[in-house]
Amino acid sequence: MDIIHSIGLGFAVALQPVNLLYCFLGVFIGTLVGVLPGIGPVGAMSLLLPVTFQTTPEAAVIMLAGIYYGAMYGGSTTSILVNIPGEAASVVTCLDGYQMARQGRAGPALGMAAFGSFIAGTAAIVGLMLLAPPLSRFALKFGPAEYFSLMVLGLCILIYLAHGSMAKALLMAAFGVVLGLVGLDAITAQPRLTFGRMELVDGVGLVPIVMGLFGIAEVLFNIESVLKRNILKSSISGLLPTRQDWRDSAGPLARGSVLGFFLGILPGGGAVISSFLSYALEKRVSRHPERFGHGAIEGVAGPEAANNAAAGGAFIPLMTLGIPPNVVMAMLMGAFIIHGVQPGPLMMTQKPELFWGVIASMYIGNIMLLILNLPLIGIWVQVLRVPYRILFPLILLFCLIGVYAVSNTVFDIYIMVLFGVVGYLMKKFGYEPAPLVLAFVLGPMLENNLRKALILSQGDFSTFVTRPLSAIALLLALALLLSPLIPRLRGKREAIALEET
Amino acid sequence: MRAGEILAGLFWLVLAAGAAYAGWAMGLGTLRDPGPGFLLFGIGLIMVGLSAGVVAAAARAPAPAPGTPGPWAATRWPKVALVIAALLVYAWAFERLGFILSTILLMIFLFKAVEPQRWWVAVGGGVITALLAYLVFGLWLRAQLPKGTFFD
Repeated sequence: MDIIHSIGLGFAVALQPVNLLYCFLGVFIGTLVGVLPGIGPVGAMSLLLPVTFQTTPEAAVIMLAGIYYGAMYGGSTTSILVNIPGEAASVVTCLDGYQMARQGRAGPALGMAAFGSFIAGTAAIVGLMLLAPPLSRFALKFGPAEYFSLMVLGLCILIYLAHGSMAKALLMAAFGVVLGLVGLDAITAQPRLTFGRMELVDGVGLVPIVMGLFGIAEVLFNIESVLKRNILKSSISGLLPTRQDWRDSAGPLARGSVLGFFLGILPGGGAVISSFLSYALEKRVSRHPERFGHGAIEGVAGPEAANNAAAGGAFIPLMTLGIPPNVVMAMLMGAFIIHGVQPGPLMMTQKPELFWGVIASMYIGNIMLLILNLPLIGIWVQVLRVPYRILFPLILLFCLIGVYAVSNTVFDIYIMVLFGVVGYLMKKFGYEPAPLVLAFVLGPMLENNLRKALILSQGDFSTFVTRPLSAIALLLALALLLSPLIPRLRGKREAIALEET
Repeated sequence: MRAGEILAGLFWLVLAAGAAYAGWAMGLGTLRDPGPGFLLFGIGLIMVGLSAGVVAAAARAPAPAPGTPGPWAATRWPKVALVIAALLVYAWAFERLGFILSTILLMIFLFKAVEPQRWWVAVGGGVITALLAYLVFGLWLRAQLPKGTFFD
């Protein structure tokens, strides 16, 4: 009965007109940034963060969450029509989606991507509703040692999944922690790494760093070479998949939803990895694996379901443990904190209207996306035709306004440009930004829990290995870091390593 | 590429050494009561080890074959440099010239510098973009955009 009451409360919040409006804005903008290559959900969320200052925390989080799962929907459109993924989680949709479009089946591919996303997104919300309450209660038993070790594990998973050199990914995570420590020490109030600048006393802002690394750096990288797009000229008709399409896709949709949801929960995991694993799984279980890569609808249905389910699952560690599992959730955590809400195990009891309101809004948002995506595909195709030479000055301008609007200081614009250049050079030399940003957010929490654990154990480091959950998390983290030393495991890592953005 | 890798590794090495030193200078405290420099020092040391490893790996890597294109070959890096410079100038001018004027100038520059548009497109696009952005962000969303101190 308790959960029914909670769901009722959630819908009462989500169905308030102002929250419905913010939910619609979120999923609409999310779909738009998913369609547009060059700006992803992280950039869009940081850009719109200042807009939410005037609103209630519920409306703010509802809109920002909508941008995230909306982008998962929108990303498939560019993959299918242009063979350029709108965001990283849709990379794998290019393989069969674009082939289907070339064979004149763009409509069913887009339709299945939208329906698959809706089904998986809804399944993930049900999972979130069922799993979050018991996990929150369990998390109340965690001490600083457990939190410290879980954060280390989360970072290590992200480092493990990072593309290219693991040493470089680890270096980026360490640099992220250092950046997170800039500002006043939480215990002694001693300024650290502020170089006498008043602007740094509160630390470096998340928004300028994210906008620089993901917004400005991406634009600089795109300017470097000429981006060519071939949009299919044929008209898109018959968005509804056929009965045979549904029969072929039922299994992939179900498997993709379950796989994506559980991978989304894992710290460091997420939409990108789940879409690739779903594709690999479907190819393995298919009776006709040779069709994959040549326009098999299963190759669209599975990954699209997986990345949307993962987007839902990713809310679990943030809302129950207060640990963001990926960069997007780190951004959302920033929004929670700005609005005076601390995500974690107590959120469900202290802010039930926010917790359940956001979950219910995701269900409504999924319905909006289905209604929005099918009839508006023609508009998204037109958006894709906007040349990059027109688009990039606008993206830069949005980044500049977004950063200034958060803090009203030009200093943050300089920080953003600096991180834009750093991000551009990092991309050139194979350093990934995602571990840096996650470590930047986790850094202060990591330090706080490390120091608390040591104070409580009177300086005994064994507290991290004598507490079972902490020991398991650290053991897993160590195994992940050492696995590249074993050649067979190194090969496996390289096969699944992706740029998680 | 190898020289670039080594330079990048050295950059991180210097940064790491700086972080470790800063942590040391702030005070490590004791294990029973860790000080503000405790984690910074530890992370700095880890970074020193990792960046030294990156430099060593790059130095040990075989030299690229003659004719192998470098990371900057066939790229339009001067355009990238121009955009970075424009953003820095914009940041400098932002509060001096105010949002509208500095944005018009930035937009005209961006429309002309990377993929040159006709003058009327660049100027018209710059003015319309700046005014629309002011309308949406400044007036509708009430972002505190500067009016400019230069004209005071």
